[in-house]
Amino acid sequence: MSKLWQEFKKGVTIENPTFVLVLGLCPTLAVSTSVQNAIGMGAAATFVLLGSNIFISALRNFIPDRIRIPCYIVIIATFVTINEMVMKAYFPALNRALGIFVPLIVVNCIVLGRAEAFACKNRVMNSIFDALGMGVGFTIALIIIASIREFLGNGSLMGIPLVKGFEPVIMMVLAPGALFTIGILIGIINFYHLKQKDKKEIRRLSCHGSE
Amino acid sequence: MEMIRYGFILLIICFFASLTLSATYKVTHTRIEAQAVTEEKESLDEVFPEASNFKDATLDDKNYYIAEKDNKDVGYIIKAEAKGYGGPISMLVGFDFNGEIKGIKILSHSETPGLGAKINEVRSGENVPWFLKQFEGKGVQNLELGDKPENIQAITAATISSTAVVDGVKKEVIEFLSRVKS
Amino acid sequence: MDLSNFIMIFISMVFINNFILSKFLGLCSFIGVSKETGPAMSMGLAVTFVTTMSSIITWLIYRFVLIPFNITYMRTISFILVIATFVQLVEMFIRKTSPHLYKFFGIYLPLITVNCAVLGVAVLNSDMFFVNGKAVRASFWYSAFQGVCVGLGYTLAMLLMSGIRERLDLCNVPKALKDFPLAFIIASIMSLSFLGFNGFKF
Repeated sequence: MSKLWQEFKKGVTIENPTFVLVLGLCPTLAVSTSVQNAIGMGAAATFVLLGSNIFISALRNFIPDRIRIPCYIVIIATFVTINEMVMKAYFPALNRALGIFVPLIVVNCIVLGRAEAFACKNRVMNSIFDALGMGVGFTIALIIIASIREFLGNGSLMGIPLVKGFEPVIMMVLAPGALFTIGILIGIINFYHLKQKDKKEIRRLSCHGSE
Repeated sequence: MEMIRYGFILLIICFFASLTLSATYKVTHTRIEAQAVTEEKESLDEVFPEASNFKDATLDDKNYYIAEKDNKDVGYIIKAEAKGYGGPISMLVGFDFNGEIKGIKILSHSETPGLGAKINEVRSGENVPWFLKQFEGKGVQNLELGDKPENIQAITAATISSTAVVDGVKKEVIEFLSRVKS
Repeated sequence: MDLSNFIMIFISMVFINNFILSKFLGLCSFIGVSKETGPAMSMGLAVTFVTTMSSIITWLIYRFVLIPFNITYMRTISFILVIATFVQLVEMFIRKTSPHLYKFFGIYLPLITVNCAVLGVAVLNSDMFFVNGKAVRASFWYSAFQGVCVGLGYTLAMLLMSGIRERLDLCNVPKALKDFPLAFIIASIMSLSFLGFNGFKF
């Protein structure tokens, strides 16, 4: 059971698809203009991830290696289309807000990436938790970026205006703001990683030195 | 030989994919279409609240609606397009035979958020964008931007978007009225 | 067949709505390949070729298969399959004619399949140039031309970015910002300047 929990956790933290693996950038930047859209996209992507991981893992011995990419694409595209139809029918406002990025989930590098790197080599149960972890990690990353952008660019969160008398930085909800936010965030995470590495180096050297 | 086996496997997967999608389509499409119809009817009600019924009509390739009340024709609703700052602004405009604007609804636009996008901004407590509400009850021939009560107040720092809406409505409604009368 | 429409498509796709700097479609390969001008140019041309041809082929499929048989919900799956097949063909062609170029592209050639820009422009065409299930007049030419322009806009962004990054290689950059973060910040400034093209009219 703890192994499954590990699979889940790694998608959220050490192998976070957005900040660590740097995958699936296109929808991340486009959709993070508001926290509401971010949650919606995160949920849709998680659904597709789950479906594709389950089926690709279940069929991993049936699909020959030479044609694995087209087969994966068909399976992923099926779930993306199911998601599209369900959204059009039950969440039309969200569908309009996410626009072209709903069908574009099929080329979201996260989905294909997990299929290639994990689902085709692991059992169904593990793949389910991997998908959930990646999906949740993606959603959390989206929410972080969206909170920053929505707050600075619109003075609100989840559509609720928070601050008065503060002229928002409109650039943040436009393209440059997105690129800037993610550049700074990845920079901060790199900085944190480098410090960890430095600390380890210092510990190693000082251990040897004191002999 | 291998190719045939590969082709066959791909075919099976595609077959089941298509089956699943057709099934999902059957389940959802009635609801999707019903939603489109309700949305359209709601939009028409928004731009012509006093009408009780709407009829489809065509004039030289252009679709429009005739608004009806108590079995009498009372006006028209057309789709108008304005050349906005960031791209075309698509609107529904409702007006009576004399060109008095009954209501405007913006269907799509690409104006700058926080500036031109305020053409669609709804203040809390209201349900119609304040910029568009100014058009109601005014004659299309006299529409112009200005500070007097009979004019349309532009959005601060978004003159181009404001002008685009006024000019677009004026041009399309006047042109339509002259064409439909002939 | 309005000439002004074509000019508008060109200006829109290359400058105002540049797929990378304004719509974020095609970012992964953009950040990955734009370190040097040579590869950037080749990648840009390859992508332009794929976007143009797939715009044409997907238009034909949408017009003559999906709409008549009333299966437009199969749009995503059929479009991406067409693109995947086409990229595979391009890959095999390059492998035969220029093994040097093939090795040079490495993994980024098959990655054109999942380039959001390619599927993005195909979906955009079917949304923009088909109204109520019928093709707009000259829709085929608009779609094909839009495919070309999207590729050109992509190439333009790649060239600009690679020029900047090549020079930055010679500078002192804080370690935490090396590679990705800096590339994003540069892209954000480029995107800011491209915002200036908004409001262009003639």
